[in-house]
Amino acid sequence: MGLVNGTISYLRFVANGVPEAFEEAYCAALREHRFHEIDPNSDLERSTGWVQFEDAFSSDWDPGTFVTPSGHVLLRLRVDTLKIPAVTLKAYVEQAARERCAADKRDKLIRREIDVLKLEVKKGLRKRSLPRMQLLEVCWTIATGEVRLMSTSRAAATLFVESFEKTFHQELKPVGLLSVLWLRGMDDAEIDHLAGLEPEPFHLARI
Amino acid sequence: MAETSRERYAFLGREFLTWLWYESAHNNSRVQTDTFGAVQVEFGQRLTLETGGNVREGSTVSADAPTETEEARTALRTGKKVSRARLILEVADKHYELGIDAETLTLSQLKLPVVSGGEDLWRIEERLKLLDEVEAIIDELYVAFVRLRRDEEAWGRVREAMREWVLEVPA
Repeated sequence: MGLVNGTISYLRFVANGVPEAFEEAYCAALREHRFHEIDPNSDLERSTGWVQFEDAFSSDWDPGTFVTPSGHVLLRLRVDTLKIPAVTLKAYVEQAARERCAADKRDKLIRREIDVLKLEVKKGLRKRSLPRMQLLEVCWTIATGEVRLMSTSRAAATLFVESFEKTFHQELKPVGLLSVLWLRGMDDAEIDHLAGLEPEPFHLARI
Repeated sequence: MAETSRERYAFLGREFLTWLWYESAHNNSRVQTDTFGAVQVEFGQRLTLETGGNVREGSTVSADAPTETEEARTALRTGKKVSRARLILEVADKHYELGIDAETLTLSQLKLPVVSGGEDLWRIEERLKLLDEVEAIIDELYVAFVRLRRDEEAWGRVREAMREWVLEVPA
């Protein structure tokens, strides 16, 4: 699913124009905001950053090939989530508590011991788990400033806009019912004129 | 341009898709565009109609030809307009299928003509050309509708024809 094959669902945005010889600066900006793997020994549950379009494990952009022959910049925003589900964690903590009680020949653990056990179990489970990887495809048409995010999820869009603006220092505006008119050549006066329109009640007979 | 007034203008999107249904129904499924000539527009599989305003009432029709159903016509007669649709477009020898949301013009589950062979980058660039084309068709149809909508004289005629169409009882 996405740009390479399958069906496409996407959201449209528009960015400002790019500066002269932007390739070098934008590649450096992407490297600065590249994806970093989650360290399972840490408490980090989510990591977001840019990766190469063709390789989810590479963050090395070449200014010479940054823009495709037809004038697009193709990127992927990688979002990894390493979170142990609460139900899973609870079950493993209960099991570990039973084992500890059996080993110590005790009936139950005190609150503080359970808290420490919970941290140990969580760390162990994080080391055994693989992060859930999400790859958001992005296509930026340099000539027009149009940016397409190949997802219609609101959460993905929020994350994407935040990352894009932080990386390229550009404001990204969503394309909607009014801005598409402007993109397709309507002038401000024509668009302003729409303010006087009201919904048509097609279902009501003429009076 | 910020879409701060998204709610204010949502009716334009619903009227656009309803007009597209009307145009398609009255022109043998063909809608004229300046850039692409006659585009065949059909409504497929799933159609949602809603009232506007704060309290939304909606009807979703699932059928092979949802615009042919009495349920969809009844929804129109009770003041609902198309809020989401599955469109099938034919232009030249190309076939597109897509879901469209009236309030945002967001395209989803878009099926492009098959591009086979070649390397990934070549295939992506070919698919982007097709994406540009289908997006341009939808945008052009929408811009044409908005230009018509703001032309009081021309719109007056279309509005009366659409009212008659909405209120007519199908044979």
